[in-house]
Amino acid sequence: MINYTESKIYTVSKLNKYIKKLFENDFNLQDIWILGEISNFKLHSSGHMYFVLKDKESQIKCVMFRGNNCNLRFMPGDGMKVKLRGDVSVYEKRGEYQLYVREIIEAGKGELYLAFERLKEKLKDEGLFSEEIKKKLPLIPQNIAVITSPTGAAIRDVITISLRRFPNLSILVVPSLVQGAFAAKEMAKKIDFLNKYFKDLDFIIIGRGGGSLEELWAFNEEILARSIFNSKIPIVSAVGHETDFTISDFVADLRSPTPSAAAEMTIPDKNNLINNLSLLKSKMSRAIKRNFELKTENLNSASRSLKYQGPENKINQYYQYIDEFSARLNSRIKHRVELYEERIKKDSQRLDSLNPWAIIERGYSICRKIPGKEIIKRLKQIEVGAKMEVIISDGKILSKVEKKEVVSS
Amino acid sequence: MKNKKKIEDIPFEEYLRKLEKIVQRLEEGELTLDESVMIYEEGMNISKICLEKLNKTKKKIEQLVIESEEKYSTKPFSEKEGEDTINEF
Repeated sequence: MINYTESKIYTVSKLNKYIKKLFENDFNLQDIWILGEISNFKLHSSGHMYFVLKDKESQIKCVMFRGNNCNLRFMPGDGMKVKLRGDVSVYEKRGEYQLYVREIIEAGKGELYLAFERLKEKLKDEGLFSEEIKKKLPLIPQNIAVITSPTGAAIRDVITISLRRFPNLSILVVPSLVQGAFAAKEMAKKIDFLNKYFKDLDFIIIGRGGGSLEELWAFNEEILARSIFNSKIPIVSAVGHETDFTISDFVADLRSPTPSAAAEMTIPDKNNLINNLSLLKSKMSRAIKRNFELKTENLNSASRSLKYQGPENKINQYYQYIDEFSARLNSRIKHRVELYEERIKKDSQRLDSLNPWAIIERGYSICRKIPGKEIIKRLKQIEVGAKMEVIISDGKILSKVEKKEVVSS
Repeated sequence: MKNKKKIEDIPFEEYLRKLEKIVQRLEEGELTLDESVMIYEEGMNISKICLEKLNKTKKKIEQLVIESEEKYSTKPFSEKEGEDTINEF
């Protein structure tokens, strides 16, 4: 019943090839963006990624080859809402159509994120973020301006904290839109306006409380960044966010994570300053008092030493010298006298032992010629028949020489 | 008068630094009596200036009202007035 003709029979691969061609020639299926949620994500060891993109009712198989996914800045995962860019085509082997993914962006923040990255790179290259050109804030601000919503908690916090830290501060509130399509332009204009008419401002705090990326978006816009950069008045960026930075943060002269933090960082604690001042003052007084004492003491010791070197002292010194000298002299003379006395004593003892009478006492005698009283020591001094006297201990004997005789000893 | 203007132009922190230096020099104690009396007096004067600078500003919370590109006024800030005070050019 069915008429098979040769020409109408396809092989499977031919059919799939044909269908694939249909897909690829349909521009509605090429280079398109699809929004959905990733599920069943698999990263193959080859580096290719396989997953399913789905929404509430439907799903489509996806593949992202290594050559395309190597530039991804994040790792896709199940449950992630993404925007995919790619081509729909057929995997002939299995007869399945699928999405060949070329690009993945995290949905919601993806595009903004890209815009942010692009602007950040651009402004950075232009030197808007360079640290060297950042202006320094004065330690004691007197006039500050705050560009923010006049109704939010932000302005209330800034005013409260600022006045708590420095009660006599002049704050100019500059109301502005801080979110939405016109916010960036408005804030930029207000910065320019303040630069024109309020040159005396010490700095401008610009910011708002925390919010989603979209709500904070105005602070990522180029027009505001340029205005911050061009401001002669230092700008403090105070956008409420914990982790990421906004472009304004990068351009501003000082960035703070919240408006409250901006006030804490920029407004000094007046009590601290006053305490510090009085501390310096008392240190100064103590130091000069000590200087006086030191100098007085120096003076006293100088006058003491002057007295010491004065004439009165010199005379006294001489007196003392004389006294000392005469004492020394006395003692030396005394010593010498003693020395002589000692010597005399010794000499007289020696003299005693040499006294001839002492020898005669012991039985020796002395013969003397008469006349002449010459002491006879040798035979030849006297002739036989001559007279002589023999002296003994208690007198002398007159005698006459009878005979001379040599005695050999 | 000229001197007064000069004081205005010198920021607080510079005076503070000067004061700290004076304290340091006095504490080192290597000055003559005349010098130390002189810089002590200078220091006392500076601390007075510092205090004056701290107390100079009057507390003032005002709100800017921009009327046109060239025209503006200020009024006391009041949170209650809210959104309608936001003015665009």
